[in-house]
Amino acid sequence: MTLAAGLALTAIAVFVVLQRSPLTVAATNGVHAVSELKVVGQATVLCQPGQALPRDTSAIRLSFGAITGPKLVVTVLSGKRVITGGTTGSGWYGSAVTVSVRPLLRAYSNVTVCTHFGALTGDVGVLGERSGLASGDRGWVHGLLSVTYLRPGHRSWWSLAGSVIDHIALGRGASGIWIVFAIVALIASAIALASLALTRELK
Amino acid sequence: MSGPAASLQLPRAQGTRARRWRRVDAWTGRLPTAAWICAVVAFANAASWSLITPAFQAPDEPSHFAYVQDLAEAGTLPTSSSESFSPTEEAALADLDQREVRYSPQNHTISSAAQQRQLQRDLSLPLPRVGLSAGVAASEPPLYYALETLPYLDGSGGNILDSLALMRIFSALYAGLSALFVFLFLREALPAVRWAWTVGGLGVAFAPLLGLMSGAVNPDALLCAVSAALFYCLARGFRRGLTPRLALVTGLVIAAGLLTKLNFIGLIPGATLGLALLTVRARAVYGRVAWRSLALALTAALVPVGVYVLANILIDRSAYGLVASGIASFTAHGSELRELSYIWQFFLPRLPGMHNYFPGLPTTRKFWVDGFIGLYGWLDTVFPAWVYNIALIPLALLGALLTRALLANRHALRRRAAELIVYATLTIGLMMLVGASDYSGYPADIGNYAQPRYLLPVIALYGAAIALAARGAGRRWGPVAGTSILVLLIAHDIFSQLLEISRYYS
Repeated sequence: MTLAAGLALTAIAVFVVLQRSPLTVAATNGVHAVSELKVVGQATVLCQPGQALPRDTSAIRLSFGAITGPKLVVTVLSGKRVITGGTTGSGWYGSAVTVSVRPLLRAYSNVTVCTHFGALTGDVGVLGERSGLASGDRGWVHGLLSVTYLRPGHRSWWSLAGSVIDHIALGRGASGIWIVFAIVALIASAIALASLALTRELK
Repeated sequence: MSGPAASLQLPRAQGTRARRWRRVDAWTGRLPTAAWICAVVAFANAASWSLITPAFQAPDEPSHFAYVQDLAEAGTLPTSSSESFSPTEEAALADLDQREVRYSPQNHTISSAAQQRQLQRDLSLPLPRVGLSAGVAASEPPLYYALETLPYLDGSGGNILDSLALMRIFSALYAGLSALFVFLFLREALPAVRWAWTVGGLGVAFAPLLGLMSGAVNPDALLCAVSAALFYCLARGFRRGLTPRLALVTGLVIAAGLLTKLNFIGLIPGATLGLALLTVRARAVYGRVAWRSLALALTAALVPVGVYVLANILIDRSAYGLVASGIASFTAHGSELRELSYIWQFFLPRLPGMHNYFPGLPTTRKFWVDGFIGLYGWLDTVFPAWVYNIALIPLALLGALLTRALLANRHALRRRAAELIVYATLTIGLMMLVGASDYSGYPADIGNYAQPRYLLPVIALYGAAIALAARGAGRRWGPVAGTSILVLLIAHDIFSQLLEISRYYS
């Protein structure tokens, strides 16, 4: 009874999660993360003016590279007015970090995106292109940071299932959508076998 | 519910079912059917992960694949730790956009038929298959890689992605072995409640991290299985005594571990202590035979490793991989006390008076708790931040149940203090090794080793924690708690696989 109820709840949770839409790229600032512009080694602020944020932006992806990234506080300023902002905790890893921000009700142009770096455990690379200037509180950074603006898509994961399945089928020796059926069969058999063993043992 | 008294209370229909279940047990050998089921479930889960994870997008997989390729194609161990692999592997990595995708969650795997055709075209070219470079894997011992040459050669009629798929499936078998040995460990270490072995074994079988690592070409898969076997051997020794046969098997398991991955060295202090304590105990029963058992275990453990070290010296290769440099780095940054302080903070909250090596970073939570909840791909695949906060609730409940079980059994725990000290030494030894490895990168590369996969060798204790947490709910509610915990772990696994799919294929 507990097992059946638990598995049913899990199935419902999966269904609900897949009803949601993934974040999609609303716009970029046109800068590619091709060069390391600067290495940030201590708590600082880095601002980039002249940014355009589309309506419904709910997350900003910044091209910072780190092994154990610091806490980041992002604020978007129109003049001196804060129009949105968000925070991400420390410990992130990789060549980009996504910071959720309060969704924007309308589009903004010519705003400044500032990133406040918290206490650093290791260095952080600022990635972008060596053209233009971004400001830091310890001088100017020669180059522009690569920034991507994200918003919820209009299609749910369910409606994207077809393209995701086609995508899974690629990049393999024996390509094909049989892979998706195999994944489902393997997980279903694992759950069925585990249920069988548990039911028997608990009798 | 085990033993004659329990079975007498069964209604007739249930009694028939139980007899049938025992007949299945007899047919499958001396191991309970539930143990085999744990193994099959772990294999199926890892096989599923192997299909979900895109080629070469598991940690260090290009390096480990290159090691196997060199061994299979040239019959030699890799000689360079450069990341310039064989032309055929390089072609695959380029066509798969592997280097653009790893560490960059904004980039996905190839998605067009044209890219797939290009990949197939390049892989069908007669490019050389030997590179003699194996990146980070170059200094590792060869057992895992030697075994992986079997599926590699089996798939060599096709392209290297066919070989990779077969190698991953072969590696998934080690997940099955891991779950099997965890089940057996629980049977020896927690013999009182039979169903708890199944809950612990299945909990391990559904562990996403075990699935990810065993569903990839990575020696962590075999290391985990061998380490679980070591825990089983020691638990068996503490429960039944150290016989010459068990000593021999334990020695061989230690040798297999040392020949699988350098990280196994972290378990050596605990294994040595365990064998020493078992010998002292066995002396009272077997007399001099106990010493013979110890000698047998040491010989079985050291001879294969000695041969490997000797062979390395003869071919002018580093005697035992990075161990020598690891020992050198232990004192490279000043005092040992400073290093111990770093290692402490790498895992646990800083104590008063310690220098802060991780400012603004709660390492226990960020590295280990969050890492356990979800950190996949090349450590670049994570859940949304709120998931890690919500997950603390079930984790706290599990912790409370575990504490309750430990308190309820405190007298039994006191009686088994020696055995517990051995398990603690195994764990601390491994943590010291991982922490010291990270310290070797200080201050430039802090956190390189902050990966929960490095703690997979103590997965037997994870299984024990799950089993004990279920038992912590008491005799009446224990089965309900056990079932609920298992459902939670299944859900964790399913959502982790969906996360991996969304990361690479959305």
